[in-house]
Amino acid sequence: MTAEPADVLIIGAGASGGVVALRLAQAGFKVVCLEQGEWLDRADYPGDKLDWELKSRKDWATSPNVRGLVQDYPIVEDDSPVSPLMYNAVGGSTIIFAGAWPRALPSDFRVRSLDGVADDWPIDYFDLLPYFYRTDRQFGVSGLPGDPAYPPDTEDAPMPPLPIGSAGLKVARAQTKLGWHWWPEFNSINSTPYDGRRQCVQRSTCQSGCNEGAKASTDLTHWPKAVALGARLVTGARVRRIETDASGLATGATWIDRDGTEHFEAARVVILAANAIGTPRLLLLSSSPNHPDGLANSSGLVGKRLMMHPFANVGGLFEEPLMSWQGQFGDLIESLEFYETDEKRGFVRGARWGLAPTGGPINTALPSRAGEQVWGADHHGHVRAHLGHGANWGLFAEDLPDEANHITLSTTVADTSGIAAPEIHYRMSDNSRRMLDFHIERAKESLDAAGAYKIEVDRLMRYSGWHLLGTARMGDDPAVSVVDRWNRAHDVPNLYVVDGSCFVTSSGVNPTSTIVAIALRAADHMIETRFEQRVPV
Amino acid sequence: MSAVAADPLASLDAGERANLSAIADRLIPAAHGMPSAADVLGDDRLRFVLNARPDLVEPLRVALRSEHGGDVAARLDILGRDDPAALGALQLVVVAGYYTDGRVRELIEYPGQVAIEIRSWEYPAYLEEGLIDAVMARGPTWRDPTTGERAVIPDAPRTYEERWSTDAGSPEGGPDGNDRA
Ligand SMILES: Cc1cc2nc3c(=O)[nH]c(=O)nc-3n(C[C@H](O)[C@H](O)[C@H](O)COP(=O)(O)OP(=O)(O)OC[C@H]3O[C@@H](n4cnc5c(N)ncnc54)[C@H](O)[C@@H]3O)c2cc1C
Ligand code: SF4
Repeated sequence: MTAEPADVLIIGAGASGGVVALRLAQAGFKVVCLEQGEWLDRADYPGDKLDWELKSRKDWATSPNVRGLVQDYPIVEDDSPVSPLMYNAVGGSTIIFAGAWPRALPSDFRVRSLDGVADDWPIDYFDLLPYFYRTDRQFGVSGLPGDPAYPPDTEDAPMPPLPIGSAGLKVARAQTKLGWHWWPEFNSINSTPYDGRRQCVQRSTCQSGCNEGAKASTDLTHWPKAVALGARLVTGARVRRIETDASGLATGATWIDRDGTEHFEAARVVILAANAIGTPRLLLLSSSPNHPDGLANSSGLVGKRLMMHPFANVGGLFEEPLMSWQGQFGDLIESLEFYETDEKRGFVRGARWGLAPTGGPINTALPSRAGEQVWGADHHGHVRAHLGHGANWGLFAEDLPDEANHITLSTTVADTSGIAAPEIHYRMSDNSRRMLDFHIERAKESLDAAGAYKIEVDRLMRYSGWHLLGTARMGDDPAVSVVDRWNRAHDVPNLYVVDGSCFVTSSGVNPTSTIVAIALRAADHMIETRFEQRVPV
Repeated sequence: MSAVAADPLASLDAGERANLSAIADRLIPAAHGMPSAADVLGDDRLRFVLNARPDLVEPLRVALRSEHGGDVAARLDILGRDDPAALGALQLVVVAGYYTDGRVRELIEYPGQVAIEIRSWEYPAYLEEGLIDAVMARGPTWRDPTTGERAVIPDAPRTYEERWSTDAGSPEGGPDGNDRA
C-alpha cells in the first residue's frame, strides 16, 4: 500500500529546514522532514561539566571528520586548506553555531554592479528586510538598535543587547579613539528570558551546545512548534537520492535508516535544506540517465562556487585580568569599518570583524593554532599571561565565487550508509589573501590602541569552515544558476534549495541570519503559489 | 585495535605509568608556586581524562611505549617527528589532567566556565561613556547600492538619545518568538 505523499518533503532539520517546516506547517501543508541526526538533550551538552574542553575536541568537535559520529558523513578535504564544519542533528549546525547574527549588507547583493566582480543577486537587502524582522523574532535576537553601518530599521531586535565584557569595552574604547566603527554584536542569544527559553548565563560554551537553551537552535525555536502543528520529523534518516519521474518532476527521496534498511518517502514537492555541502552532494548523487551530471545541474554549477569565508584570528594580550573565558561566543562586539570596497587597498570587498572570548585553560595550555607551545618552568607564566587576559578579533573575509572551488563525489570514501562522501576542492584567492593581510594589520592596530602588550596572529585557520555557501546559486538565467529568485530549481519545478547553497556571493558576514530570511521568503512564496505548483501525478 | 578496559588505567602498565610521570614532570614541572603535573596526575585525574576520552587510550599507549627509551626529551622529539597524533594525545592527557584539578584551578584563579547573571536592565558603560554616540556622529556608513557611495540620510540620528526618541518601536510579533506575518 502506498501512503499519501507529503505535500512537502524537507531534507535536513537544521537552520533553514526548521524555518521552512514551521512556516509551511502553519499554512496547513503536510510536512515531512528526513534528518540523518537525532534529537539531542541539552542536559548532555558538556558546557557545564568539568570535561567540557576534553569533549569539545572529540565528540563535540566542530569538524564532522574529527567527531566521526554515526550520524556524520566524512568529508574528503585533502585538497583544501580549510575544513568544512557542521553539526548533524535536529537543529543542524545551529546546535554548535556561535549565534552571531549580523545581516548581509546592501552592497553584498550588488557586487558585480558596484565592484565589477562576481555577480549580482536577483534579490536585494530591501527584499529581505521584512523577513529579517520576522526571523529575528522567531530566533530571538539581542542587539542595540541604530547601527549606522546598516540602513535604518523600522523594527528593533526583540531583546536588549548582551553584555560586551571587559575585553569588549577595552577594544570598543580603542576603536572609538581610532575613529573606527564598532557596535555591540547582534546575537541570536537571549539577553532576557524569551519564548519560553532562559536567559544566557555567559558560560561561553556556545559551540558545544547551549545547556541553558538561551542560544537559538531550531530544535528549540522551530521544530517543536512545527511538530505540534503536524509536521513529521523522521530522525536517523539518511537520504541517498532524490527520485524523479519521466516528466522530470521530483517524486520524493530514497533514504536509509540506521539498520541499513532502504525506504522511499513520496512527496509533491522536495525541499533541500542539507547545507552547502550536503545539498550539492545529494544533487550529484541523484544523477540518472535523464540527468547524468546530477539533478538540477543543466547549468553545470551544482557543487561549484563553494565559499567558506577565509578567516584569520588576531589576538591581543593585556596585563589586567579580563575574565575573557566568559561571555557569549557569538561575539561581544563587531567592526565593519573596513567592510566596503576601497580599491586603494589593493583588493575589492572587505571583511567583518567579531571580537570573541578566548577559551579555557586546556585550550590555553596546549600548542596554539599558530604552533606556539611553551613547556617546562615557563609553562606556568604562559598560562597565567594568556588565560583570561586576551581579546580576539576574528576576521571573516568575503570569499568571491570561483568555479574551481567545488565539490565532487568521492570514489573511495563513503559514509556509514555506504553513500559516497563529498570531496572538497578549495583554494583561497589572491584577492582574499590580500584582504586578510590588510585586515590583520588593521586589527593589530586596534588591539595596539587598546593597550595589548603582545599580539598574536593566526592566518587562515584550518578549522574555520563554519560558513558553507554558494554551491547551488540563485539567479534569473537558468544557464548560469541552479535555482531561481524564489529558490526553485530551474530544471525541476517542484524542487527547492533553501540553505546557504543558494548564495550568489558570500558577503563578509556570518550568514545564518541571511540564510534563514531567504528560506522564510521562499516558504512564503511556496504558500502564495501553492495552486500553481506543478506536482507529480 | 585492542579493546579498552572498563577501567582505562588497567590498560597502562607500570612502565608506561612511570614514563607518563617523567614526561608530565618535564612538560609541566613544579615552578612559580605551581605543582608539577606528575604530582597532580594521579589515578583519579588520569581516570577522569580517559573516561571522558576513551579514544586517547591507544595513542597514549603508543606514546608511552618503552621502545622510545628513557630519555624524555628524545622521546618527545621522536614523537613530534614521527607520530604527532600520539604526541598530541600525550600532551592533551597531561594538560587536561592538570587543569581539571581543583587545586590547580584555584592557583590559576580559574573557577571554570561559571554561570553569570546578565543584568540587561543596567545602562551599559559604553553608552554612559558616549562610545556609541561617537560611532553615530559619523552618520550612516553603509554603501548605498543605487549610488555606490556612502548612504546619505539627512535626518539620520547622530546620537543614541536621538535614535531612541525616534524609536522604531517594539517588535510587532511580541516577546514570544511567534511569527505573526
Ligand atoms: C562551529 C560553528 C559555528 C558557527 N557560528 C555561526 C555564527 O556565529 N553565526 C552564523 O551566522 N553562522 C554560524 N555558523 C554557520 C551556521 O551554523 C550555518 O550557516 C547554518 O546552520 C546553516 O544552515 P543550513 O540550514 O544551511 O544547514 P545546517 O544547519 O547545517 O543543517 C543541515 C542539516 O541537514 C542534514 N542532512 C545533510 N545531509 C543529509 C542527508 N543526506 N540526509 C538527511 N539529512 C541530511 C544534516 O544532518 C543537518 O542537520 C557556525 C557553524 C559552525 C559549524
Ligand atoms: S554563553 Fe549564553 S548562549 Fe552561549 S552557551 Fe552560555 S548560556 Fe548559552
